[in-house]
Amino acid sequence: MRSRRLTAVSSFASVGATEGDAGRIASIERTARGQGGRRSDNALLTGVCLMAPLLLFLAFVYVVPFLGVAAWSVTLPKPGLGQYERLVADPLFFSVFVRTFRVCLVVTALSVAAAYAIAYVWVRGTRLQRRLVEFCILIPFWISILTRAFGWLALLSNRGLVNTWLEAAGLITAPLPLAYNEFSVILGITHVLTPFAVFPLASSMRAVDERVLLAARGLGASRLRIFWRVFMPMTASGVVGAALIVFVFTLGFFVTPAILGGGRSIMAAELVWLRMFQSPDWGLGAAISVVLVALVGALMAALFRLARPALMGGSR
Amino acid sequence: MNDAFEKDCLEILAEKARRGGVSRRQFGQLAAIALGGAPLALRSTGARAADKQLVLVNWGGDAIKAYDQAYGQPFFKATGIEVKEDGTGPTEGAITAQFKSGRPTWDLVDADPFSAITLGKQGMIEPIDYKIVDKSKMRKGFGWDYAASTYFFSYVIAYDAQKFASDPPKGMADFFDVKKYPGKRSLYKWGAGMWEAALLADGVAPDKLYPLDLKRAHDKLAAFKPNVVSYWGGGAASQQVLLSGDASMAIIWSTRASILDHDSNGQIKFIWDQGLISPGALAVIKNNPGGKEAAMQFIASTSDPQKQLVMFNLLGQGPANPATDALIPADQRKNNPVDAANFSKQVALDMPWYSENYSAALDAYTKIISA
Amino acid sequence: MIQRPGPVALVLAGLVCAFMLAPLLAVVPISFTPARFLTMPNGHLSLIHYRELIDDPDWGRSILLSLRIGGVASAIATALALAFSLGVWMIQPRFAALMVGFVLLPMIAPPIVSAMTLYFFLTSLSEVSSAIGYDTWFGVAIAHVVMITPFAVVMILVALSQLDRRIDLAARGLGASALQRVFRVILPNIRFGVMMAALMAFFLSWEEIGVTLFITSVNAITLPRLMWMGVHDNIDPAVAAISVVLIVITTLALSGRMLLQREEPA
Repeated sequence: MRSRRLTAVSSFASVGATEGDAGRIASIERTARGQGGRRSDNALLTGVCLMAPLLLFLAFVYVVPFLGVAAWSVTLPKPGLGQYERLVADPLFFSVFVRTFRVCLVVTALSVAAAYAIAYVWVRGTRLQRRLVEFCILIPFWISILTRAFGWLALLSNRGLVNTWLEAAGLITAPLPLAYNEFSVILGITHVLTPFAVFPLASSMRAVDERVLLAARGLGASRLRIFWRVFMPMTASGVVGAALIVFVFTLGFFVTPAILGGGRSIMAAELVWLRMFQSPDWGLGAAISVVLVALVGALMAALFRLARPALMGGSR
Repeated sequence: MNDAFEKDCLEILAEKARRGGVSRRQFGQLAAIALGGAPLALRSTGARAADKQLVLVNWGGDAIKAYDQAYGQPFFKATGIEVKEDGTGPTEGAITAQFKSGRPTWDLVDADPFSAITLGKQGMIEPIDYKIVDKSKMRKGFGWDYAASTYFFSYVIAYDAQKFASDPPKGMADFFDVKKYPGKRSLYKWGAGMWEAALLADGVAPDKLYPLDLKRAHDKLAAFKPNVVSYWGGGAASQQVLLSGDASMAIIWSTRASILDHDSNGQIKFIWDQGLISPGALAVIKNNPGGKEAAMQFIASTSDPQKQLVMFNLLGQGPANPATDALIPADQRKNNPVDAANFSKQVALDMPWYSENYSAALDAYTKIISA
Repeated sequence: MIQRPGPVALVLAGLVCAFMLAPLLAVVPISFTPARFLTMPNGHLSLIHYRELIDDPDWGRSILLSLRIGGVASAIATALALAFSLGVWMIQPRFAALMVGFVLLPMIAPPIVSAMTLYFFLTSLSEVSSAIGYDTWFGVAIAHVVMITPFAVVMILVALSQLDRRIDLAARGLGASALQRVFRVILPNIRFGVMMAALMAFFLSWEEIGVTLFITSVNAITLPRLMWMGVHDNIDPAVAAISVVLIVITTLALSGRMLLQREEPA
């Protein structure tokens, strides 16, 4: 009996609620809360049990050792905030951070936009369109980041395919400097991350209630209007998730920028590598990392606060 | 899996089976795995001295097969100790991490001698046991407390032979002259050799290079920046920038350059003039898992001229043992950085200077190139 | 009835698809080069790099290892992320932001620092048993789980955010226990999102190099690790050949699926 009702409830999502339901739901909610006692304890316990494994796992495997590494920033080479003072005074540090954040923003904007276009067709296209798009999303994964970086060099360098074609077509007389600069770095990273951005976007697009769109069309809205005013806002959480993933991922990139940037656009991740491995100064490397984590953490906290209704809600 | 570990496993299993923790069928299955040694699962890593294996960490690529063929296989045949190559690249920080973990898994590292000196002073590197390793088989002036000289390579000027066929560059001054030799350049990202290159181009006499006038070098490098298309960080990137035509000249490793000359059918050539000789060395990490003695014996085995000849043929490494020079056929001598004819045109990098000053110099250099 | 994408959307998507496939223009020809380094073949085509994939067992071994680690790591990561996200969504604890931030730490910290952190953890683990710590497939899998789970958490939180909370309330009102709500009501509705999370997790593990580089040595060599070993010296064009082989396999699989499903209604 109960199972059938549950199944009915679960398909409630596709049926949707009407105006009158709101009041009914509110009263159910009150009843459920009022029943309190065993039932809400049950929920709390289950919730805690669900959250505990990951929290404990990460605390043990990662967070505790991480704090140890972070502690180097105040203990190596001698105790105190000396390393942080060095950072503030260091011009390289500042310029690297500015460049890194700039690249991150540009890549995020491009990747999410590109991924949005693809995800849209992937979720809502005809069978053939979906299969083609799927193909284009999956293929890049099989080309490793290293191969892709050198592949881009082959395409973008002076004697590369792009310049050769442009010259052959008579559009340019001398090769364009497309490689070994920030342009190729942005291009390379965007290429890697766009497929990753597709996942959260597709997930949120899938969940869009079709009938709302139909209702809007029935009310006479144009295609563009429907897309802009109705569809996009409903995928907001997907956009936020995708932007977050791409932004943070870009922050940690060092393979692609190292190869495509020609050593001239050093980004934060590579700076940390330099300080940890090439000419080791673990205290300084740890300090840079702590600052990075703090900055990104602050950004994310701000983002979370803004997006909290979208992420945690549903309909409140 | 090795015997001691297997025995352990079986004992534990037997104990559990007795106490009813493991059913008989499970015991049988687990024992089968333990004895069968499932190929990729449960492979034990050797961090115990009893293991007959040495892990040699070098810079990967062609070097892995080369080290195995020239040194690893003969050593195994002679002593029964297996030598495995790890191509991660033993940077100073990586070696530090290995030592600081308390249980290093690396035995031998193909490290820069100046790194070995710096780390050795901090107690992370085992001093070379020159009772086992024969210093007389090394060239004079090379062979340090914490590292044994095993090969040589140089930073040389490589150029586009099609572009500059009629009038190839003859030294650093030509390299820095973009009017006479148009096109972009590529330099080494991690600084070594680049300061010397700038100073030589600026007119400093080779024997008056050290201690390096870093200010003068950095000023010249900063002024030259617009002409540099990229700063390569590894061998692969260095040859890419030349092959693709993005740079008409680059200062690259001689080992890469000689292979490039051959593989590109003479499209990219190089010169020894004003090359910067850099010694390569093997060092042993303190508390290495394979044992100090085995590691030293391995290093001692690398001084065999025949083996060094193999390394020269495969990688273009200049041999550490002067006796090897005679073994190199006449037509190949042009690829040997330490061949008498080539050696005289070059300048050797000063390892003690690098040990003291590399960090600070690299910092300043990095600031300049990435600004 | 779904409204299909209009011409503008299709053109944009088409451009992005072309961009996605662009590197193939370089990678495929390079895989056929007769030279020993990465370069476009000048007229001569050669299969030596494909031969090498068959002849050199290292490539096959590393691909299998990457597949195994990817499968295990993505399964564990997705499960952990799912459990955590469900918990957060269901009970909406007071310090949700802090806990989510905690869980996302491996994603935020620079990969080098994560690498060192995990390196020290795994070498300590090796003291317990050398079969599960540093330079073992299991150790790598654990490290990958740590690095991947934050991404999976973000994915699943996104999926949950689209879920109408009222159905959960309705279920509660009908007397469902928490577990029943999870398995009968919530999970079926976020199925697509969870699948996406698992897929993303797999590919994150497949590509992972930053951390993997420092926690492996000579035994657990994943595919990216094997490829990376060439970057200081010479990159073997076999890496391009591998990509082409994997792409061909995927293409065949996708085409096969398309043909088999032709009978179903679009």
